[in-house]
Amino acid sequence: MNEKITYNWRYISIAVVFTLFGLAIIAQMARIQLTVNSSELPVPVLLGQWEKAASRRGLILDRNGHVLAGNQTVYAVDVNFEDFNQPGEIEEVKMLADLAIEAFDIKNQYLLEFLQQEPRPLERNLTVENYATQADLLHFLDLLERYYAGLPLEEKTEESEESEGTAPLSIEESIELIDCDHLVRVSCSPHLIRSYPEGRMASNIIGFVMRDSNEGQLGIEEKFDSTLFGNDRTWWAFWDPHKADLAPDPDHGANIVLTIDSVLQADVETILDESIKKTGALAGTVIVMDPRNGEILAMASSPRADINRYWDEEYFEIINNLENVFNYAIKSYEPGSVVKVLTMAAALDAGVVEPDTEFIDEGQIEIGGVTIKNWNEKAWGPQDMTSCLQNSLNVCLAWVATQLESESFYNYFQDFGFGQMTGIELAGEAPGLVKSYRSPDYTRSELGTNAFGQGIEITPIQMVKAVSAIANGGEMVAPRIIHSVVDDGYRYTPPKTVVGHPVSAETAETLTEMLRQSLKNESSLALVPGYSLAGKTGTAEIYIPSLGYKSSATNTSFVGWGPTDDPQFIVYVWISKPSASIWGSEIAAPVFRKVVEKLVIHQGIPPDAVRIALQE
Amino acid sequence: MTESLIQAYSNSPRRQKLQIIGGILIAIIVAAVMLVLYLVMSSRVVFMGRQLQQAKSDIDQLIYLSVNYQNQIDRLSRFELMEERAVELGFRPAYPGEVFYVPVAGLENADEVGVVFRDESASAIINVDIPDYHQSLIEWVGEQLSNFLRPFRGL
Repeated sequence: MNEKITYNWRYISIAVVFTLFGLAIIAQMARIQLTVNSSELPVPVLLGQWEKAASRRGLILDRNGHVLAGNQTVYAVDVNFEDFNQPGEIEEVKMLADLAIEAFDIKNQYLLEFLQQEPRPLERNLTVENYATQADLLHFLDLLERYYAGLPLEEKTEESEESEGTAPLSIEESIELIDCDHLVRVSCSPHLIRSYPEGRMASNIIGFVMRDSNEGQLGIEEKFDSTLFGNDRTWWAFWDPHKADLAPDPDHGANIVLTIDSVLQADVETILDESIKKTGALAGTVIVMDPRNGEILAMASSPRADINRYWDEEYFEIINNLENVFNYAIKSYEPGSVVKVLTMAAALDAGVVEPDTEFIDEGQIEIGGVTIKNWNEKAWGPQDMTSCLQNSLNVCLAWVATQLESESFYNYFQDFGFGQMTGIELAGEAPGLVKSYRSPDYTRSELGTNAFGQGIEITPIQMVKAVSAIANGGEMVAPRIIHSVVDDGYRYTPPKTVVGHPVSAETAETLTEMLRQSLKNESSLALVPGYSLAGKTGTAEIYIPSLGYKSSATNTSFVGWGPTDDPQFIVYVWISKPSASIWGSEIAAPVFRKVVEKLVIHQGIPPDAVRIALQE
Repeated sequence: MTESLIQAYSNSPRRQKLQIIGGILIAIIVAAVMLVLYLVMSSRVVFMGRQLQQAKSDIDQLIYLSVNYQNQIDRLSRFELMEERAVELGFRPAYPGEVFYVPVAGLENADEVGVVFRDESASAIINVDIPDYHQSLIEWVGEQLSNFLRPFRGL
């Protein structure tokens, strides 16, 4: 009996302990339910983070696959300036700020003030540099390592200052990704930005991408922004591995292959830059086009900017100038006598003149109450149409325009595409300006001046397009700079576009022969031995508001093509405001020759004698 | 007589207790096996999940690395450097009069860009004609048996 009582006491004790334990659990549950603020509790569905599938912007390549615009990995570097209480930590944070200023060369005024002020405001994960290169970040980490190891930080010597930023990284350093996970207060995350390996080369064609907004500006980058844009796909990545899912494929931008040959482009840019420097000119452009298909082989424009550093002060004027000109090939200007080629083409095609039509040049002609004179203000006597072009006689061409009359003359100019954009795939193309003969402010004198390229505005690319009709047997092709768009390994190549036949094949052939003769007869500086070339110089006075036209400031131009029996290239040259000479024959014609000398080798075009012998 | 027989073959109270205990033990074992299976499956899911998370990270790393490699190649092959190198090696640009043209029978000047990609029109069909896909299980077993027995047939 006593034994039974003992056992009951033990059972009751155990039951009491378990009951108390159970009650404690229930009490704790009730307490949590009733007292803890629910907003402080983690929400299971939010246990994760936004992640981004890194996608790259499409490449821009030249016709041989050479990369003109690519991508580069840079780092966003964050420093934690919060959660420090001890004197040692305060010193550490101060040092971090100083090292960041030194390593990343921080110039942002707001950021500098923040990093230098005392006492420092608390801020978690402040981005001290958003576009740190591998070199800058390695330098920063090296400084940190020295600081934490108690080693003296390197003192800057003159030599090290000079070599800073120019010392190349080793291949491994420049490729391997940098990991900052071992650092407590510093974090770095890689991301991609645009990179232009060639710097200034073809910058006027390519444009650039704004770093902050990631938007294309100017050139191909702006025109094809949505095509090139790599769409970063973001998604919610759960930390719970049960809910882990495949990341979406990154949506890389499409690649764009240009018609440009970068070797030829570099040569043409060198020739243009040298010419501008030598002649003291303000700016210029050279366009090389294949008239058979409209492909632009080179399009040089000067001045150019290093688009890797488009924000630099030295490029501000090039990018943000008052006339909004980044690429002179698509800027409109008064071209002068190169337009005589098209005036003569219209007159020949309409049948109002023949190559041997005689004109007695008396040195001046009055049209619409305005007296037009020749460039040397002299009378040239009896002339045929070839010598009118050869001697670039304003009086003769103005007379030719009057033979056409306004309606026919301007209809031809419209057919040549003047006053309309060519549709070349570059942002910022100017439409030019050709006044309608029906507009109220039109005067008949404009027929005379427009005939030799004054009083109208035409872009170099419009001239190249119009002249393609002469070089190409009457068939005018649309100039294009995009060879193809490549997306996901597949290529789309737009076809050659014929945009009209403003003149007949016979007219084109006749005019080409006239211009070949005129170049040869005047022993032009544009001639290249061994090659038959047709072309025309142009010199236009520049209109200055309040001063009118000044002969001391000119636009010098040259348009030419060859070989005349089988045209394979058109070259257009425009040099603006040269100071060494005002004449197109002395400034633009030699540039044409130098370009053609390079071009025939690049394109494998043999001299006429060799080519004809090979054909036979 | 009948009652005595039933009593003779009915379980003793001790045996009945053992049966109950045995049943409970079996239930515990089944539950334990189920739990172990659940844990194994759960850990495999977690493992795969971790692999997926790692794969995401690896893909990003590879993209960044690939971009760095491409950028390095582009910078090393930029025109300015190539020209400098050519000059160092003693080359210089040619002029029209210095070039010799040699006719090569059958060689046409390719009027095409130097970048090669698949054409839009090219078929994107992937070859999926793998024998295993259209082989029945019986055929497969037969094949395996045949392979297994092949050495013995030669004896």
